[in-house]
Amino acid sequence: MSLSLLLEKYDVSTDEGLQKALNDIEKEEAEVDEALSGVLSRACSLEGRLRAASQAYTKLNDVKTDSQIAADMVEKTAGLARDVSAKVRQLDLARSRVAECQRRVHDLIDLQLCSAGVEAAIKAHDYETGAGHVSRFLSMDPGSVAAARARGAPDPRDAMTRAANTLREHLVRKFEEAARKEDEPSIERLFKLFPQIGRAEEGVDLLAKYLATQAEAAIRRACIVSDARSEAAVFADAVTRVVEAGGAALERARRAAAAAAPGLLHRALLAIQPAVCAGIRRIAGELVAARRLSQDPARGLSSALSAEPVLAELALTHSRISLYFSFLRRKAEVDAAPLKEAEKKASKDAVEKIIAECDLMRTAQEILGYYLALERYFLEESVNKALKLATPQVGVTTSSLVDDVFFIARKVIRRAVSAGSVDGACCVLNEVSAQLERAAGALRRWLRAPPHEPLPLGAPREARAAPDPDLVAARLLYLAHMAEAEAGADWAERLATEACGAAGVLARTAAEREKVASCAAGLGGAAAAFRAAQDLALAALTAALTPKLQAWALHLVDTANTEDMEDDADALPQALEQLTEAARAAISSRSVEALLQAALGELAARAEAAMLTGRYDRAAALRVERRARRLAAWAGGAAAGRERCARLTQAAALLALDAPQHARDALGPAPRMPAPRAKDILARRIDFKMEDIKRLKL
Amino acid sequence: MEDYKFLFKVVLVGNAGVGKTCLVRRFTQGLFPPGQGATIGVDFMIKTVEVDGEKVKLQIWDTAGQERFRSITQSYYRSAHALILVYDISCQPTFDCLPDWLREIEEYANNKVLRILVGNKTDREDREIPRHIGEDFAQRHGMYFLETSAKEAENVERLFMEIAVELMEQAKCKELPKYDGSLGPINGKTTSVGDGSCCLRS
Repeated sequence: MSLSLLLEKYDVSTDEGLQKALNDIEKEEAEVDEALSGVLSRACSLEGRLRAASQAYTKLNDVKTDSQIAADMVEKTAGLARDVSAKVRQLDLARSRVAECQRRVHDLIDLQLCSAGVEAAIKAHDYETGAGHVSRFLSMDPGSVAAARARGAPDPRDAMTRAANTLREHLVRKFEEAARKEDEPSIERLFKLFPQIGRAEEGVDLLAKYLATQAEAAIRRACIVSDARSEAAVFADAVTRVVEAGGAALERARRAAAAAAPGLLHRALLAIQPAVCAGIRRIAGELVAARRLSQDPARGLSSALSAEPVLAELALTHSRISLYFSFLRRKAEVDAAPLKEAEKKASKDAVEKIIAECDLMRTAQEILGYYLALERYFLEESVNKALKLATPQVGVTTSSLVDDVFFIARKVIRRAVSAGSVDGACCVLNEVSAQLERAAGALRRWLRAPPHEPLPLGAPREARAAPDPDLVAARLLYLAHMAEAEAGADWAERLATEACGAAGVLARTAAEREKVASCAAGLGGAAAAFRAAQDLALAALTAALTPKLQAWALHLVDTANTEDMEDDADALPQALEQLTEAARAAISSRSVEALLQAALGELAARAEAAMLTGRYDRAAALRVERRARRLAAWAGGAAAGRERCARLTQAAALLALDAPQHARDALGPAPRMPAPRAKDILARRIDFKMEDIKRLKL
Repeated sequence: MEDYKFLFKVVLVGNAGVGKTCLVRRFTQGLFPPGQGATIGVDFMIKTVEVDGEKVKLQIWDTAGQERFRSITQSYYRSAHALILVYDISCQPTFDCLPDWLREIEEYANNKVLRILVGNKTDREDREIPRHIGEDFAQRHGMYFLETSAKEAENVERLFMEIAVELMEQAKCKELPKYDGSLGPINGKTTSVGDGSCCLRS
């Protein structure tokens, strides 16, 4: 505390004040003393630390000097390394220059040797060596030649090019000579030299030309058809021979060129193809004349039967040609396999272009045209015949229309697929669909007019008279046609799947596959037509049964007493059983089922309606119930049948109750009869009181 | 299953080089490929269009015009819902052949098929068949008529859309029987195209 503060705090004018101030001062002095002694006690340790620090400082100085030395060394090393690598680079450069110099020196030496060597080789007829020289020249670094020229030497290329040209001319001449002499070993030998002198294409052209001449001769021989009037497929055989000769020539060219010059197949094909085209054009002309083909086959032929061998021959001919085309495509693929993508595509496209534009393609299309026109004629005529045979006649009980038509359809589709053309197969599928629909249409027409009582259903309480045999035959035929309609639908669907599978194999692209599928779907249209005919027949059968069903419905709810209760109750099931048996014998169980469902439904509905018009005592009601139960028992075999009869049984049970109060129990579970209808039925009992019925809670 | 309500087959016929393939390409792909090669047999394209909010799938069969493919092309007539008969307005012979084509259509196609006469290549300067001549011909033979240019995309979309609309109306009229083998008389409600008064105006 400072003096001024003390003076302010205490009144120093008084002793007391002075004393207090003194006390304070003393207290403060004591505190300061204490603090000072504390500081002094720490001085020792501080001194120790200072000593240690000064020692460390001297050591740090040593470290600094050492590290400075180390840094200098590193820097020097780096400088050295830089120098070394620069030298290495210089060395590399020098070495590569030396190598280049050496190569050029070699090239220059070779260049002299080459041009001289080629001349010498030509003189010595050693074309291999000559070609080797040219090959060496072609592989030379153009820089060497340029460098040689730059130094003022005469351009060595002129001499070399001259020599190379001379060699080429020699090779061509020799090749042509060898070709004339048909000297195969020489041809092989010379052909191999062309790629070496950088003239691979010319070599392929020459070889192909030679092979084409050879093939032409072979084709001319193959074209000869000795017995044109023979029914055997002589023209197809001739076509086979021709495409085989062409294919063999092409394969030889491909084999020869494969190693040295791949991707040149199109050049070979270009030379060989015309011979094949001309040969087949000639055969096709003779074929058309000999088989009297025309776009309107009806004029040329006496019957569908006589068309068959011609059809087979045309299909075979076309198939052979399309096989030849696939052979070409396959070979082009193999030939271009070692090339890069772009070159591969170019090479394959070139082959594809030749195929598309060659005369053989047009001939094939014409043959296909003739084939399809004749196939249509055959199909139409055969179906006409089948329809004629199947037309209903008195006394005929069976029909094989569907069998016949599908046999023809299958045969025709198979043949079309065998011809190997997607368009052809599609066309035939279209035609077959049309003819199948025609057959379905005929069935539909016949089924639209059912004979009297196509299925036997006895009338109640009536002995059956033996029916007129003609009528029986007509009924059987009607049912046979109905069964055929059903079979036709199944067949058409199966045929569509089969055709899709068989013709799908021919399709090369997704679009072609879709085309086939779409045409095969046309057979589905025919299936629908057959199904419609079947439905029509089913409806006609049900309609024909209706009068008898009505009679049976009335009989079922009849009140009159009969002598023999058992016989009476069983009469309807028996009649129905007869009907079922007769139906089963003629039509499919699926149709029988459908027919019975319809008949039972009709019968039950009519019986229930009739029940609401009668008046019953208990005995009569029991009779009705008995009959209904027997009917239900008979129908109960099938779940659907039980359902149809359930309501009728319920109604009959209600009618035969002891008392109206039991009605609640008599009403079955679902399908539960609505209460008003149940009450209506109860009201038909003469012995039930109206009030009781009205009071019922159902 | 694909999502469409109606499927119609449309078949294009006419002499070689009148532009059938170009019409189809223009409509299905929006392209006009110059230097188009001759069609081989029959080409098949599909385009689904929308009419009154309903998807209609058009199956378009583009036939080869050359004579040697006649057997193939004829087989597609029967199942066609619409036949487009195309000629080149700058090439009289293609127009002169129309009666032959009609005879073929009469022979092979369903008699209720929708028939449309199309004069293509209106972009050409050297027109040989005036518009009214084509129109008259169509009217005489109970066909719809339209002039188009596949190159300039003129009327192409319209041609196919009108066909889709018309076929859909017909289909709704008779509720499209499940199969079309009913070559016999169906009910009289089918839209007749025979009275010539229904030519499209462009």
